[in-house]
Amino acid sequence: MRTIKLNKLVALFVCMFALIGCIQDDDFEAPDTVVVDPSIPGNIIDIDAVLGSFNQSGDGIITFEGTNNYMLGYVISSDEGGNFFKKLVLQDRPENPTAGIVVQVDVSPLFTIYDFGRKVYVKLDGLSVSVRNGVIQLGRREGNNLARISSARMSEHLIRTPEVATIVPLEVSIIDFSNELESIYIRLNDVQFNRFDVLGNNPKTFAAEDDDQFDGERLLEECGGNSSVILSTSTFADFKALRLPANRGSVDGVLTRNFRDVFYTIYINSPEALNFNNGSRCDPLEISCGLSTTIGANNLFMDSFETQTLNSPISGNGWTNFIEAGTKRWEAYTATGSNASLGRSARIGSFGSNDVSSIAWLITPAINLETNTGETIRFKTSNSFADGSTMQVLFSNDWDGTMTGITSATWSIVSDAYVVQDTDPFGPWFPSGNVNLSCATGTGYIAFKYQGSGQPAFDGTYELDDISIDAQ
Amino acid sequence: MTKSFIIFLFGIFSIAGAVGQTIVKGSVIDGTSDEPIPGVTITMEGTDLTTQTDAKGEFSFTSNVPFGEQVLIIEKIGYTTKRYPIIVNEGKTVNITDMSMDYNNDNRDLVVISITDDQLNSEDNGATDNISGLLQASRDVFLNAAAFDFSATFFRPRGLDNSDGKVLINGIEMNKLLTGRPQWANWGGLNDVQRNQEFTMGFSANDYSFGDLAGTTNIIMRASQYRKGGRVSYASANRSYEGRVMGSYSSGLMNGGWSFTVLGSRRFGNEGYVDGTLYDANSLFIAVEKKMNENHSLNFSSIYAQNRRGRSTAITEEVHNLRGRDYNPFWGELNGEIRNSRIRRINEPIFMLSHFWDVSKKTTLNTNVSYQFGKFGDTRIDNGGTRLVTFNGHNSYIGGANNPDPTYYQRLPSYFLRDPNPTAFDYEQAYIAQQQFQNDGQLDWNALYIGNATLAAQGGNSIYAIQEDRIDDKDFTVNTIFDSEISEHIKINGNLNYKRLKSENFANLKDLLGGNGFLDVDFFAEETDPNAVDGLLENIAQSDRRNPNRIVQEGDRYKYNFEIDANVVSGFAQGQFNYRKVDFYVGASASQTSYQRNGLFENGNFPGERSFGKSEKLEFANYGVKGGATYKISGRHLLNLNASYQTKAPNIRNSFNNARQNNDVVIGLENEKVQSADASYIYRSPIVKARLTAYYSNFKDGTDIGFYFTEDIAGLGFNTGDAFVQEVLTNIETRNLGVEFGLEAQVTSTIKLKAVASVGQSIFNNDPNLYLTSDDFAGALTFGDGTAKLKDYHVAGGPERAYQLGFEYRDPDFWNFGLTTNYFSNAYIDVSNLARSANFATDFDGQPVVGYDDSVARQLLKQEKFDDYMLVNVTGGKSWKIKDYFIGFFATINNVLDQQYKTGGFEQSRLPKYGRLQEDQTRETGPVFGSRYFYGNGTTYYLNIYVRF
Repeated sequence: MRTIKLNKLVALFVCMFALIGCIQDDDFEAPDTVVVDPSIPGNIIDIDAVLGSFNQSGDGIITFEGTNNYMLGYVISSDEGGNFFKKLVLQDRPENPTAGIVVQVDVSPLFTIYDFGRKVYVKLDGLSVSVRNGVIQLGRREGNNLARISSARMSEHLIRTPEVATIVPLEVSIIDFSNELESIYIRLNDVQFNRFDVLGNNPKTFAAEDDDQFDGERLLEECGGNSSVILSTSTFADFKALRLPANRGSVDGVLTRNFRDVFYTIYINSPEALNFNNGSRCDPLEISCGLSTTIGANNLFMDSFETQTLNSPISGNGWTNFIEAGTKRWEAYTATGSNASLGRSARIGSFGSNDVSSIAWLITPAINLETNTGETIRFKTSNSFADGSTMQVLFSNDWDGTMTGITSATWSIVSDAYVVQDTDPFGPWFPSGNVNLSCATGTGYIAFKYQGSGQPAFDGTYELDDISIDAQ
Repeated sequence: MTKSFIIFLFGIFSIAGAVGQTIVKGSVIDGTSDEPIPGVTITMEGTDLTTQTDAKGEFSFTSNVPFGEQVLIIEKIGYTTKRYPIIVNEGKTVNITDMSMDYNNDNRDLVVISITDDQLNSEDNGATDNISGLLQASRDVFLNAAAFDFSATFFRPRGLDNSDGKVLINGIEMNKLLTGRPQWANWGGLNDVQRNQEFTMGFSANDYSFGDLAGTTNIIMRASQYRKGGRVSYASANRSYEGRVMGSYSSGLMNGGWSFTVLGSRRFGNEGYVDGTLYDANSLFIAVEKKMNENHSLNFSSIYAQNRRGRSTAITEEVHNLRGRDYNPFWGELNGEIRNSRIRRINEPIFMLSHFWDVSKKTTLNTNVSYQFGKFGDTRIDNGGTRLVTFNGHNSYIGGANNPDPTYYQRLPSYFLRDPNPTAFDYEQAYIAQQQFQNDGQLDWNALYIGNATLAAQGGNSIYAIQEDRIDDKDFTVNTIFDSEISEHIKINGNLNYKRLKSENFANLKDLLGGNGFLDVDFFAEETDPNAVDGLLENIAQSDRRNPNRIVQEGDRYKYNFEIDANVVSGFAQGQFNYRKVDFYVGASASQTSYQRNGLFENGNFPGERSFGKSEKLEFANYGVKGGATYKISGRHLLNLNASYQTKAPNIRNSFNNARQNNDVVIGLENEKVQSADASYIYRSPIVKARLTAYYSNFKDGTDIGFYFTEDIAGLGFNTGDAFVQEVLTNIETRNLGVEFGLEAQVTSTIKLKAVASVGQSIFNNDPNLYLTSDDFAGALTFGDGTAKLKDYHVAGGPERAYQLGFEYRDPDFWNFGLTTNYFSNAYIDVSNLARSANFATDFDGQPVVGYDDSVARQLLKQEKFDDYMLVNVTGGKSWKIKDYFIGFFATINNVLDQQYKTGGFEQSRLPKYGRLQEDQTRETGPVFGSRYFYGNGTTYYLNIYVRF
């Protein structure tokens, strides 16, 4: 009896295992991710040809249909760091590029498929070209606008090849910027961030300041030249909170126009695009004799602008009032209320000017620093929404006194003078302190130089008054 | 006429015994094999006298036996219930040996196990509280309907769920301290050895524990309690698994007092009713018992039930309309195979050693030691892979990807039509999205692998990985259960328990998806996050500050890592008093519970002791009292009353508001207070059994925690109200009220009719307190008066009304057929609590929303009531006896009419703000963040073929 039952038991388990269903376990093999070189069933054209047919058409938007054309390009943007969103920037060659274009794609992320340097073909039929935000872009036509290629159509229009090229940035200077360089991967050598953004205890971040909206815009200055350009970083970038470096060096990035097509700007793929390894900055010269506890009885120059004509440029009393760029100059004004002037005062602001750049100088008459001793200068400044603009107090003893000589003279920053800061309230006037000038020599001039950021809607106003230069 | 019917007619035994004590005793054997059947429930009809047969199939009633004509009911799951009329004379012994029971081919318990298994399948908790498993051993016609026919709809008898009930195995409570719920998968696939179940309704007197409101099931898994013989079966189904093989053998009581039982089973399937839900489960059971002498037995039972399931989720109406109720966004094709990204893996073996001691004829002491350990894991796709970029002396983490879920809102047609007056282009985009979703619409595994391969080629880390959220428990329990008949009328019992749990909770990097490593930082961290004392991203983003910027490999712990220590000491005492007209019981329990979290990672957002090391030790002291009585108007008419009051410790999950990140304890955490009462009228005749019950229960000081992403938190500033939050609801008061009715009529010897109804109401009885926490803002955020206006909303959880009409035909020629028609109504959606708080009417600046219209708000916040529906289920089976073998099959078809229905659903809390919700809800093209629903299965079948010997 027992053996019979045991036999049954064995039969039972044999039966069980014979019938067992096989279920795929969790150890899946990685699929084949090797990219196969596609065979392109049409004509291969370069980016120049696409830009050319758009420019020649004279239309705001053109659409490709039945051309059987495929545009070749290399990916130079990367959304890995979140600084590009739902777009690819392509240029025609890995090295010495001559043309670039933006492709709008409704997919995020793209860097996992179309990585930096990847050679791709863009099937043009069904796509349209237009200018958006100042640069030529490819996408789907939506009325007279350009929309993103939908995710369902991405693989049809953007065809990958196995080639990932080494992109060699095109070395350019800021003054070279032109339409031809738009959407091209460039390198700017020997640049630095503006000292107001990076010097001091609390350097700015790429794009995590309270007033950064959409993009953090930071002034990059070219050493050895007077040019500067805005480096833009999306407030969605993963690296937005990193502090800007105080060093100088090179930047690699995509040259493009800002959202409103007002100025050139550069977007980087990641902070690794900045190679700032030179520890010495190329800031303007400084003159610093400290502050003085006493003021001499011998007044050399004084102006509280009370004799100026309201709403007219500051003139007379030895002033030089010069526009280096734009249309705005220092002028006299009066105001009451919470943002009052000091009687009549001087002010400048490029707000609403629509100037691409606003630079204006107000320069005192000459001060003889040789015959006098214990020279000091004091003045008061105030501001109104000064964000995005700067005012510097400069000293020169080699200016020839002519308007044309202003920009070629050597100007040093009077760094001991307190000038109203962005963070100061707009109402009060801030005294500069008794700025000692006694360590300077020769015949000197003090200049109040205003510089707008080039964004007229954001530029602020500086106000100046009660200037007094004294000696013992 | 069948043999059993003959016995029914002529089985009147009256054997005289010694004068003195009145005793009814006997034994039960298997009608096929003549082997004794242990674990058969013997009841004297019309009384509360009930007992079970022992290993030799023997039983006896020695006290309180009523005189005159009586009926013995013998019942066991898997066997046809029988009634034996007897005549009892005072001072005589009635001895009925070898009552035979026929194996019943109507193995409905197997079906139920597969339904309770579905709980594993769900992503959300919506289905995990299904109570059917608890009720399957009940013989009450109403609870039977609830267990078998209502379980497909989340129906909750008396508004209770399975955390309100207790499941015991060999007298040891199996409910998990983490959730308060039993984990059915721990003993899944063991159907053949789980036929010995005792169910106690509500708080009625129970021999093993104080019990709980929804009842107590004790599954007896002692080797000596199994009938000698074996069984092999094969089941085919299309609900959760496709196939199941099971084989079991029990030795019965052998020479030397030994008995053993073994079972092996495998359940498998590539897909259940819902697409992509794989099923891969193996179960083993071994029990050995030695009867050392007349008074001592020692039993060892071990359960190894390993379970791997592919999960599915609730979907929006939009997704349902595009893809149907069997759609599952979690899977995609990889190398030609279905791969589900959400795999639940449970492997928690149980070992139990039990000592049974008959201290005297009337007193028993049962002492048990149990140890359970193992792994519980849920996988998901982690799309936050980054790489470390050190720049200018600081770190940043670049990378990360969008959610690859094919139902991510930005991929669905509604998203492209979200703006007012959509353009032709918008419609084109929506059409393209719809086409893509309908034609593909599954997870794109290849894209994940390609992304990782692209990055690996540059020497980067994985951007995508498979994360497995793990709970590795070690659970030790010792208890002792005492039972004594003090006199003919009085029985006392009680127990003492000690339970110790050590639970390790962490994320395990399961699969790098072809990549080289994964950077263990929080991709979503922002420097503006307020909880950090030192506001640098490189600190805040760390999963573990003590081990920053770690590249993890497969098998490494990452993201979070903590332990929970829990200790529970408890006991209960109970007295049962049985008299001629009245039976009554009283009981009391007491317990002491403690929980403590121990953080093993120092979380970037919560530096120092806030996340690392030991939390405050939470202590909870609780008690309960209960009592009840049955008044016997006559043998046929009974009145039954029960009442209870108990306090319960919150479960672990509801005690820490975000244990994955920090040591914070829920603010205002209280023991839950539960009071209940019910009254029944019971009618029992040989033909009709009926019960009508009115019930009431009230739960106070409940706690509930939810996790979600929301876009509109009031007072956080313009466009900055986005956050991943923990929503903590405390001081919850709910009330259940209703009546239930069950009637069963054996109209002929072959036909039985059933009628069942339940009409109830489960509502919130107050406005609970609500607060939010997050690593995106500091402290606990409350709105207005700090409450969510939930009073009079319905507690979600299946239909509040359920009705059944059914019949069973049992042919004497060993085949049967049954049909039930079930009608359900008054099921309600789980509402967004945040939208019912003052947040709804408060703008970003903390001021009231401009243009708030109270009547519009009322409309928006009205609780959705689901449509009524009807489910028709049929069952049938047949069996043959061939020599020593008993061969049969049993089949069910559920939802024969292929009814479409929602079993449950919940509102998303993404837009908990007047204007935003209004915009989303009133959009002609449908909401972008609509409610998500669980849809019931269409027509499904289950077929089981077995051989028994």
